[in-house]
Amino acid sequence: MTNSQFRLSAAEAELPPVVTASGDIDLANVNEFSDVLNGAAADSDAITVDLSDVSYCDSAAVRALFAVAATTKLGLIVPTTGPITTLLSISGLDRVATVATRD
Amino acid sequence: MAPSHFQPRKHPQLVALMQRILERMQSDLLDAVGLAIIVYDKRNDERPSVLAAQGVGAELVEAQLAGIGGPVPDAIAHQVPVLSLDLWTDDRWPELTLAAMRDRSPQHQSSWEQVHGAAAVPGVWADEATVVVCCTLSQPASAATVASLFNYEQLVSAALITTAAENATAIEDIITVLQSRGAIEQAKGALMGLVRCDAEHAWSMLRRASQEFNVKLRDLAVALVEHISGAPAEQPDTGTPITPDNRTREAAGLMWAALSEAPLPQ
Repeated sequence: MTNSQFRLSAAEAELPPVVTASGDIDLANVNEFSDVLNGAAADSDAITVDLSDVSYCDSAAVRALFAVAATTKLGLIVPTTGPITTLLSISGLDRVATVATRD
Repeated sequence: MAPSHFQPRKHPQLVALMQRILERMQSDLLDAVGLAIIVYDKRNDERPSVLAAQGVGAELVEAQLAGIGGPVPDAIAHQVPVLSLDLWTDDRWPELTLAAMRDRSPQHQSSWEQVHGAAAVPGVWADEATVVVCCTLSQPASAATVASLFNYEQLVSAALITTAAENATAIEDIITVLQSRGAIEQAKGALMGLVRCDAEHAWSMLRRASQEFNVKLRDLAVALVEHISGAPAEQPDTGTPITPDNRTREAAGLMWAALSEAPLPQ
């Protein structure tokens, strides 16, 4: 079971719901990641995705994030450096999502 | 490994299909100044190249591939979707500027001046063979632009895969799907209104009727729309229009009559 790998916390006060991801995100589990993102976006016009504990993600995750950002205001929490941050700037996803860093 | 690999550009029918797909993209992305489909097969000893293009798509992509850099070479190199809000001022590609494009292709000056956003989405259609679907817009690109390119990339990849499998009739099938999509959507809409059901239910009714009457679903959809409206179904100007035969028209009439009399599902 990888239920805990993508965790959705309900919206609190004025803040959007938060999806917290950890571990690796790749083709093997990207559908699960997408489902959690879509579930969060279904009830809210903004979501935050916390990627600061993600060890690895590839283009599959970037695609899923672009897809959800097409319909929802997307906020991302990422580590200051590392492969995820690089992928965000290569893809330009950081230009259509609000990015906050966490060390 | 096979001595020579499938080369998309040597298949005029496939190139024609790609052109049709781009025409459809143009009607989805109204702000598009240029569109292009690029193929790159590492197994053939050649550089990435433009397979089909609209507007200034080919010129812009060729400049990027010639060493100036841009979303297309980055999408190929990193295999990720690439988005730019403003191509000429994007800090990722300092050499890709309005001035550089004006120098390269002065005849397109007015198009270059319109350019703002751009997006490129890569896909893999064979081992080590990549395709990129890209667009340049007169507006900043958004995540929705990228999401729209995802759909077209899937269509393009599917076409490349089936053609590479040397199934020549597959191209015909895909062209027909594009041709009939409008009519099928219209027929579904009419059924949804008549029987008060959702799109999925309407689709399954169409499919069931096409099996029961043993007629092609796309023909039935066109016949149904024409039966209801008493006018020709909406079809794209390009390509051969679908003309249902009498048997199909009869089936459509029967189907509509039966459903019109049936009580509404609870």
